[in-house]
Amino acid sequence: MTKLLNLFRRRRDRLERDLDRELRYHVERRVEDMIADGLSEPEARRRASLELGGVPQVQEAVRDTWIWRWLDVFVRDVRYALRSLTKSWAFTVGAGAVLALAIGATVAIFSVVNTVLLRPLAYPDADRIASVETLWTNTGRASQAVSGPDFLDWQARNDVFEKMAVYYSGDTGGTDDAPVILEDRATFANPRYVSADFFAVFGQTVSAGRLLTAGDYSVARGAAPAAVVRYQWAVTNFGSAEAAIGKRITVNGSPLEIVGVAAPGFRYPGVTDLWAPLTPDGGPNHRSNHDYHAVGKLKAGADLVRAQAQMRTIGDALARQYPQNRVKTVSLIPLQERLTGNLQPTLWALMGAVGVVWLIGCANIANLLLARAAGRTREIALRAALGAGSGRVMRQLLTENCVLAGVAGLAGLLLAWMLIQVVVAWAPADLPRIDEVRMDPTVALFALGLSLVSTVIFGLVPALHASRLDLSDGLKQSGSKATASKASTRLRSAMVVAEVALSVILLAAAGLLLRSFLTLQHVDLGFTTDRVLVAFTEHPLKDRIRFFADVLDRLRAVPGVHAASGVAYLGMGREPRPPRDYFIQGRPEGQPGERPQAEFHDITGDYFKTLDIPVLAGRDFARTDTPESPRVAIINEALARTAFAGESSVGQRIRENPRAPWMEIVGVVGDTRWQDPSQPAPPVVFRASTQGTGNSLSILARTSVDPTSLASTLRTFLYEANPTVPVKFETMEEMFDSTLAYPRFRTQVIGLFAGVAALLAAVGIFSVLAYLVGQRTRELAVRRALGASAANVVGLIMGPGLRLVAGGLVLGLAGALASARLLSGLLYEITPWDVSAYIGTIAVLGSVALLATLVPAIRAATIAPVIVLQQE
Amino acid sequence: MPPSRFPIPQGTLDMLVLQVLSLEAAHGYAIAQRLQQISRAAVRINQGSLYPALHRLEQKRWLKAEWRQSETGREAKFYALTRAGHQQLAREKASWDQLTTAVRLIFNEGA
Repeated sequence: MTKLLNLFRRRRDRLERDLDRELRYHVERRVEDMIADGLSEPEARRRASLELGGVPQVQEAVRDTWIWRWLDVFVRDVRYALRSLTKSWAFTVGAGAVLALAIGATVAIFSVVNTVLLRPLAYPDADRIASVETLWTNTGRASQAVSGPDFLDWQARNDVFEKMAVYYSGDTGGTDDAPVILEDRATFANPRYVSADFFAVFGQTVSAGRLLTAGDYSVARGAAPAAVVRYQWAVTNFGSAEAAIGKRITVNGSPLEIVGVAAPGFRYPGVTDLWAPLTPDGGPNHRSNHDYHAVGKLKAGADLVRAQAQMRTIGDALARQYPQNRVKTVSLIPLQERLTGNLQPTLWALMGAVGVVWLIGCANIANLLLARAAGRTREIALRAALGAGSGRVMRQLLTENCVLAGVAGLAGLLLAWMLIQVVVAWAPADLPRIDEVRMDPTVALFALGLSLVSTVIFGLVPALHASRLDLSDGLKQSGSKATASKASTRLRSAMVVAEVALSVILLAAAGLLLRSFLTLQHVDLGFTTDRVLVAFTEHPLKDRIRFFADVLDRLRAVPGVHAASGVAYLGMGREPRPPRDYFIQGRPEGQPGERPQAEFHDITGDYFKTLDIPVLAGRDFARTDTPESPRVAIINEALARTAFAGESSVGQRIRENPRAPWMEIVGVVGDTRWQDPSQPAPPVVFRASTQGTGNSLSILARTSVDPTSLASTLRTFLYEANPTVPVKFETMEEMFDSTLAYPRFRTQVIGLFAGVAALLAAVGIFSVLAYLVGQRTRELAVRRALGASAANVVGLIMGPGLRLVAGGLVLGLAGALASARLLSGLLYEITPWDVSAYIGTIAVLGSVALLATLVPAIRAATIAPVIVLQQE
Repeated sequence: MPPSRFPIPQGTLDMLVLQVLSLEAAHGYAIAQRLQQISRAAVRINQGSLYPALHRLEQKRWLKAEWRQSETGREAKFYALTRAGHQQLAREKASWDQLTTAVRLIFNEGA
C-alpha cells in the first residue's frame, strides 16, 4: 500500500516538474520575443503572464486533465479525514463501536437465518423435493406419518412425481441411536430403512462402492444384507470411504454388508449414519399403521399447486374406497418448509430483535454525527471562507464519513464472525443445517452498504447546512460552541426518544422470554430429574430378559443406588412414540381413524420408584409378572381421566389391537411430561417388559451420590454380562436440559440483543446530554458565578434528559404491549401482559438511563466558573 | 486588440492543434506562434487554454511528447502526432467538411 502510494507520489512529482519547466519555457520565449520587439523586461513579463491568464491558473487547468487527479484529491481527503477523526477520538470510537455493533449483530443473525431458512437445501433441484404427508380431515392437521398401502396407491396413481420414496426409522421410532456391532467393537449409529428410489429423490451419488439396487430389495423381509453408510461415519469408523466397502456389521441384531458410501455431506433424514433397504408393507391390514415418512421429487415443470390438487384427488378417492381412509387424504409440503417450519418463530423473533438493534444503531449514528456537525459549524465556515467550494467541503465530509463507515464496517464484520461462533455454540444441536452456517458474503456486503448509506446521509446534513451557511455568521459565533439550530436539536431529541422506545420493546420481549424460560425450567414434570443416571444400551433378542434382570439386580446391590429399572424407549427430548389405538373390554371398537389413542411404553418394575412418579392407585409391576402370568398394564392419570372418567380404572382390561391379548389394569400413576415440558402429558399405557418378547432396555438408576460416579461400575456389569453390548451414559438432568434448548437459545440471544439495545440507547442519551453541556458551558458558568447551586445545575441538565427518557419509556411500553402478542406462541404459561416482565424492563432501562444522564450532569456541576469565563 | 478577431469556436482548438502538429513536431510556444500566424491573427486563441488542450490530447494518446533541444539550445517539450492522432485528425476534418458544406448549402438556398 505504501509502495503504491510512493509510486503514485513520484509520478505526480515528475509531472509537476515537467509542467513547471514547460510553462517556464513558454514564458521565457515570449518575454525574449517581446524584449526583441522593444518592450522593457518587467513589462514583457507582465504581458506574457497576462496572455496566459496566470501561470498558476494554467497549472491548475492542466492538472485537471490528468485522469488520476481525483486520486490525488482523494488521498488528501482521506488524510484530512483521518486527522479530523483522530482529533475527536471520543466521537470516532463511540460512533465506530455503535456502527460495528449494529453491523456485526445484523450480519451474524442474518447469516444464521439465511442458512437455515432461506438458502435452498443442498440437493440437486431441491425446490422440487416435497414431503408427502397424511392430511387428517377431521382435525385439519397434516402429519408426516404415512401408511405403506396409502403410499403405494399414491405412487401408482399420480403423474406429477418423477420419483417417490418412503423411509422408516426402525423400531426405536425416532432419531434414536441403534446399537451397531462392527468387526471388533460395539457402537451406536443412526440407521434408516429406505425404499428403492430414496437416493434418486435426493439426486445422490456415492463416493465409493454403489447405491442400493433392485437386487438389494428382493431379499426376504427382515433380512437386509446391503447398506450404504454416511461418508463421515465411514471415515470415523474405517479410516476411509473405500475401506468401509465390503465390511460386515450388525445393526439392531441383523447383519448388514456395507456396499456403498454416500457423497460427503449427505445425511438425510436428520443425521443418518446408514441406509438399508425397505420394502414398504402394502398389505391391507397396514392401512392404519402410519410407520413411514414419504418424500417425492416433482417432475421438472410440475408446479406444486397442480401436484397438490392431483394428490388431493387421489387421497379423496382412497377415502371413499377404504373405510380406514375415511378421515384422511394427502398433502404436499416443500421439504425445506417441513424441515424448518417450526423454527420460523424462533428465527424470525431473532431477526426482529436484530432489526431493532440495527435501527437503534442507525439512530445513534445519526445522533452522534448531527451533534458533531453542530460543533463544526465554525470549522466548515472557515474552510469555505478560505476558498473551498461547497462541493469541495461536501466531498471532504463525505470522505470522512466513508472512512468512518469503512473502518467500523470491517470491525463489524469481525464482530459478526465472532458472534456467529457464539450463536452456533448456543444453538440447539438439532437445529437443522446449523453446521452449515457461514458468514454470508451477500449479507456482509448488504450490511456494509447500508451502514455506508446511513452514515453518508446523516454525515451530509452538516455539509448541506454549510452550503447555505452565511460565512460571517458562522465565523462570528464564538469558539466551537456555535449554537445548534432548533430543528437539529429537535431531531436529535426525537432520535433519543425513538432509541429508548425501541430498546424498551426489546427489553420487554427479553423479559417475557426469560420469565417463560424460568417457568419452564421449574415446571412440574411429574418426576424428579436430579441424581438419575441413564445408560443407553441394546441387547440382542436372545437371553434379553435374563440379561437385564441380572444387571439390574447387581446394580440395586451397589451402595448409593436407591432404585434401578429399565425402559424400552426413553423419550425425553426426542420424538414421541407414535400413539396407537387402544381398546377397552366391553366397549364398542369404534371406527378406524376415530379411535382414542395412547402411547405404549415397556418398563420393568421399580421404574416409577426410580423416577419418583407417584403410584396413585393399585400397584407397580412385580417379579411375579412373567410371560406365563396374566397380562397386566399400568396407565397414567391422563388416560384414567379421558378413558375412565368417574369410574375406577383398576381391574378394567385394555389392549392395543383387536387380536392382542387383554391386559388387566393393575395401577394408575401420575402424569409425566417427557418430550417437551411445555406440553401436557399424553395418555400412556405401561406394559411389563418381562411379559412380552422382552424389549431391549435403557437402564435408569436413582442414586444418593453423584450419578456419573456409577457409570464405570455399570459399564463393568454390562461388559461382564455380555462384552458385545454397547453402552453410553447421560444424566437425566442433562437430558432435561436439552429439552429446553430452544427456549434457552431464544432467551439468550434476545437477551443479548436487548442488552446491546439498552447500551446503545444509553450512549444516545449520553451523547445528546454531553453535547448539551458542552453547548451551555458558558451559560452554566455564569449561572454558577451568579449563585446557582451544583444541585440546580444538575437539575438543569438531567431535567431535559429524563424528559426524553420518560417519553421513550411511555412510547416503548405502548409498542411493547402492542407487539407482545407476536410473542405469545413462544411463551409458556406467561401472558404477553406479564406485569413483572414490564416492571423489570422499566427498572433496567430506568437505571441505565439515569446513569447516562447523571454523568454529564455531574460534569456540568463541576464546571469551575472562573476558568470558563476567563477562556471566553 | 482589434475587435474583428473572434474567439475560437469551442472544441475546434483540439483540431487545430492536431493540424499544426501533423506537419511536424513542435513545442507549446511554437504551436502558439504557428496558430497565430496561420490564422493571420483572425482567430483569438487564449494561450492559457493551449496547455490543458495539449495535456488532454496526450492523455487520449493522440499526441506523444518528448524533451529535446529547441532552436534556442534549451530543452523544450516537443509534441508529435501518434498514429491514432492522425486518424483522429482525418475524422475531424471529414466531419468539419460535412458541416461547412451543409451550412454553405443552407446559406446559398436563402441567397
